[in-house]
Amino acid sequence: MGNNPVLEEKILTKRESKKGSAQPARSPRFDFNWAWLGVAPFFLFALAFLFLPSFSIVVRSFQGVDGSFTFKNIIAILTESDIINAYQASLSISVITAIGGGFFGFLLAYAVILGGMPRGMRTFMVTFSGVASNFAGVPLAFAFIATMGNAGLITRWIEAIFEINVRQMGFSIYTIWGLSIVYMYFQFPLMVLIMAPALDGLRREWREACENLGGSAWQYWRYVAFPILLPSILGTMILLFGNAFGAYATAYAFSGSFINLVTILIGAQIQGDVLYNPGLGNALALGMIIIMSVCMFGYAYMQRKTSRWVR
Amino acid sequence: MAFLEINNISKSFASTVAVQDFDLQVERGELVSFLGPSGCGKTTTLRLVAGFETTTQGKIIVKGEDITNKPPNQRNVGMVFQAYALFPNMTVGGNIGFGMKVNKRPQEEIQARVDELLELIAMPGLANRYPHQLSGGQQQRVALARALALNPEVLLLDEPLSALDAKIRVVLRGEIRAIQQKLGITAIYVTHDQEEALSLSDRVVVMHQGRIEQVGPPFEIYNFPKTEFVANFVGTLNAYNAKVLDNQRNVLSIEGQDIQTAQTLGAYKNGDRVMIAIRPERLSFADGQKKVNNLACTVEEVTFLGSIVRVQVRTGEKTLYVDTFNNPYLELPRVGETKQLTFSREAVLILHP
Repeated sequence: MGNNPVLEEKILTKRESKKGSAQPARSPRFDFNWAWLGVAPFFLFALAFLFLPSFSIVVRSFQGVDGSFTFKNIIAILTESDIINAYQASLSISVITAIGGGFFGFLLAYAVILGGMPRGMRTFMVTFSGVASNFAGVPLAFAFIATMGNAGLITRWIEAIFEINVRQMGFSIYTIWGLSIVYMYFQFPLMVLIMAPALDGLRREWREACENLGGSAWQYWRYVAFPILLPSILGTMILLFGNAFGAYATAYAFSGSFINLVTILIGAQIQGDVLYNPGLGNALALGMIIIMSVCMFGYAYMQRKTSRWVR
Repeated sequence: MAFLEINNISKSFASTVAVQDFDLQVERGELVSFLGPSGCGKTTTLRLVAGFETTTQGKIIVKGEDITNKPPNQRNVGMVFQAYALFPNMTVGGNIGFGMKVNKRPQEEIQARVDELLELIAMPGLANRYPHQLSGGQQQRVALARALALNPEVLLLDEPLSALDAKIRVVLRGEIRAIQQKLGITAIYVTHDQEEALSLSDRVVVMHQGRIEQVGPPFEIYNFPKTEFVANFVGTLNAYNAKVLDNQRNVLSIEGQDIQTAQTLGAYKNGDRVMIAIRPERLSFADGQKKVNNLACTVEEVTFLGSIVRVQVRTGEKTLYVDTFNNPYLELPRVGETKQLTFSREAVLILHP
């Protein structure tokens, strides 16, 4: 079995690719790739409405009301209790909904993709998830206020049928947990949408190979399936975290300024009559950009790890 | 009693019959190939032995023990999958040792076995690589080592080389055979590649539409196919619908020309139609040395295939292939040339429908 071509297959392939012998000779003429025209609008859009505003936020974070350079705004976001509370609230909601959405979304995706449900159910759930994951903002907030708000349908029913005044018992949907439930409506469908292809990517042969080697269903999930899915699960949960952290319209329409979130605080600093301080608003936004960037890189890293495994 | 007995098993999926009345006895240390076209039931039969499918009827017995209703993880049957099925999140060592790990063997024993198997597959020092860092051939070697790690009673190989390129396939099939013989393990090898089946196996099971067409050593399968399907599927074949002229002297008629066969025609009446086959390599151009059977033909095409030259000729309405060894110093037949084909009585095989 010693010296044979199989052993050297990889080495040879590497050598060949280094030499580049299989590649055609390059034409000295400059060939314009017209595909760039297709992506140009995206890059222009990103430049105009993502990179330039981000750059502007960075610059203005270090400007006072009169335009002079200052660290005051940065120091404020690290020391002022209102701002720290806002970050804590935003982080809390993001963590709660990322974990909750991730957990329930995974269970739902598993049930639909691998649970042996009828094919039609899968199509329905994926379509529904596509719609629900984008159903946010004023309509979503209003839907929850109308059903579970102080004068909501369910709240009134409970009062009428069971003669229980839930408000007097301390129940209010206008809390961090209440807002988390609202966010969950678009969080777990997003998890379903992203996890469905990952679950589809689990090959039947892996389960069979595990069984063939004496493994149980639990051992398959413990040693094979879950570790393969873990980067996807974590990556998607990071995405859910970022999704919740950056949400504004839903939170504002739902609670006004009852719940002090970073996004609501930024809105107040930039548009508000009382709290108007664009420099501080930009510093708050800079903090968000940093957190969102960490999320994006985390997600990209996890996706890369997964794609390397399952290619 | 055979080491592995597959007793009259059948498998149906709804109204589709995938395997029907499959009956086979495999001796200890024997390598048997299941050969047939896609959809003939060979992989389903293998999966029935592995326990991934349940039989509709019949029994599977290994070493006298009925395993028909045992779950796959209690059968002690190793399997090598077509697309390797290595666990991508584990290293080579992790993959090979996985079976022992889930069977709760001590870590030292696992490590020793992994090292031993890496030596066996000629990949020492690669225990820490991940599957995506290996070539296809290397991945399949690891899959083989993984399947062997638990010393299975029977090794099942489901088209293990079909995803590899031709050269690697030839090398690896030799290695698989060498390992199988070295370990003396009983193996079933599924393939649709006749060359692979013929070169590897102690016996070949040719399957068609869920049934066994013929079982026998490769030499017998190739040289003495019993049915038209086997003759057509295994190797290139010239098939003729001949007429029995004299069933006592074993004389037939094709294209208005008389030929003789060494096989007896006693079961046929004169005037019956019978299917006959002649392998291309059993035909030759007369060039003065005529044998008992001779046919006039016209050369239609000459194809150079490396070690052999395939000549397509026409006799009446029928096209035949004639294979001759490549000899650079001999003149090849020319297209349009009229020649005499000659062949022995033994070259004429009678096929059953």
